[in-house]
Amino acid sequence: MTELTNILPSMATVLQVIMIAVKCVIIAGIVMNLPIILVWLERKVAGHIQQRPGPMRIGPHGLLQSVADGIKLIFKEDIIPSKADKIVFIIAPVIALIPAMTVFVTIPFGDSIMIPYINQEVTLYIADFNVAILFILAVGGISVYGFMLGGWASNSKYALLGSIRAAAQMISYEVAFSFAAIGVVMMTNSLSLVDIVHAQDGWFTNWNILYLPVGPVWFCIFFVAALAELNRIPFDMSEDEGSLAAGYQVEYSGMKFSLFALAEYSAMVSISVLCVIFFFGGWNAPIPGIPIVPPVLWLIGKTFVFIYFFMVIRFTLPRYRYDQLMTIGWKVLIPLSLVMILITGLMRILL
Amino acid sequence: MKPHVKKLDRQCDHTDAPSILKDIFNRAIFKDIIKGLSVTLKYNVSPVITLNYPDKEKWIPTARYRGVHTLNRDEEGRELCVACELCVKACPTGCITVVPEEDDTGRGIADRVAKIWTVNLVRCMFCGYCEDACPTTAVRLGRDYELACRDMSCAVLNRDQLLQKPEIPEDFEGGTRVSARMKKMRGGIKVIPDINKKRDNWW
Repeated sequence: MTELTNILPSMATVLQVIMIAVKCVIIAGIVMNLPIILVWLERKVAGHIQQRPGPMRIGPHGLLQSVADGIKLIFKEDIIPSKADKIVFIIAPVIALIPAMTVFVTIPFGDSIMIPYINQEVTLYIADFNVAILFILAVGGISVYGFMLGGWASNSKYALLGSIRAAAQMISYEVAFSFAAIGVVMMTNSLSLVDIVHAQDGWFTNWNILYLPVGPVWFCIFFVAALAELNRIPFDMSEDEGSLAAGYQVEYSGMKFSLFALAEYSAMVSISVLCVIFFFGGWNAPIPGIPIVPPVLWLIGKTFVFIYFFMVIRFTLPRYRYDQLMTIGWKVLIPLSLVMILITGLMRILL
Repeated sequence: MKPHVKKLDRQCDHTDAPSILKDIFNRAIFKDIIKGLSVTLKYNVSPVITLNYPDKEKWIPTARYRGVHTLNRDEEGRELCVACELCVKACPTGCITVVPEEDDTGRGIADRVAKIWTVNLVRCMFCGYCEDACPTTAVRLGRDYELACRDMSCAVLNRDQLLQKPEIPEDFEGGTRVSARMKKMRGGIKVIPDINKKRDNWW
């Protein structure tokens, strides 16, 4: 009997496993369904910027429009080009989607809370990695394989050109993106996202964006590099509809196409959350004396502001030329981030 | 080739140091991007100018608009049409058919009234010559412009249909967008305007 109790996990362990499973399911559910709202929101933002109402007919103010679009995409014929590499063509959207989702493992949505009936303390993140930033950079870098393989397997010149551009862009901007993450690490002395947020506790003057003079510059580097990582306007060279039709996804249709869109929107959400966690204090309220609003809502609100900002940028700026893109990456962002690393280091040592 | 490309890149012909520094400074604070973003944000909160037709709004044309024909009555309710057939002769496409008959019961303003008065809207080009030719202002081109239907039943309108009172009164000024509601019927969709509820007119 004693042996059996030794083998069987204790009650606390079982509860923890259940907790983690529940959190995984909740976060996966939210992240998978968020693009439905974001597509609607993006079309609404686009419409209102151009003084038109956007989708209006299906549901109240067109809220169910993207659900209808999703149903349409599911029922569409799934065309695979005859000379395409079939297996790679099928798994490429999945490869693009999985890293975009995996990033959410590390993202803390809040500190721990007490669940009232079972008296169990639950942390509002799935895992607190001590190397979370490295994990995000590594996993985020994989998602470009989805775009590359998708473009390669399509056996189409447009798709191949798009995927080559995506790869070149990713290589160029991953450096600046990582340097910006290093800047955050230097400012907060930790690689763990939870510790990064805890380092910005208190008043909003503690936020990394107000770590003067380097904070705003780090934020600009991070944000521009993130725009390029996300393949969004003004850096969406890989799906440049003017010159490449739709880039790497030109041959995709039906559900595979929507998986690419899903990957893009989840990546947008994760980058927005990262912007908030790195530079805008995560779940912290700007002034600590606002107890009514729970911390999770602060994080969601700030994230929403960033998502909205990404959308407004999309309908404001024209697309950069390819050589301009490379110039910004190699001649501006990388040297600037090296200088900023030097300055931040000196500030950490001397101040 | 190279200097040419470089000049395109710079987009400026001033080469003195202060203006280059100014240029770099403006780029560093994202001046142009902020300017563009302020424009889009301003438009984002500005009112929508789309005419929400057919869901909630409808455009009411001005009185001189040439829509579907109407046959009118005078104040006592007598038909103005005397079946003189001038509109038939004026019509360039020959889409109006008038057959007169004698009726002294006071149906029309004269003893001669129209037995049949039909207009073929498929042929009609809405030129308004019938309106000009009419000596008694009986036929007028109205303001109804919703002509679509699922079969040919609405292509030819007869006297009874044309004699019905137009849903927009003659003295309504028009040239405005008003609230409306969409009505789905077997024959198609009709948008019924509510002319008392004017919407703001941006143009």
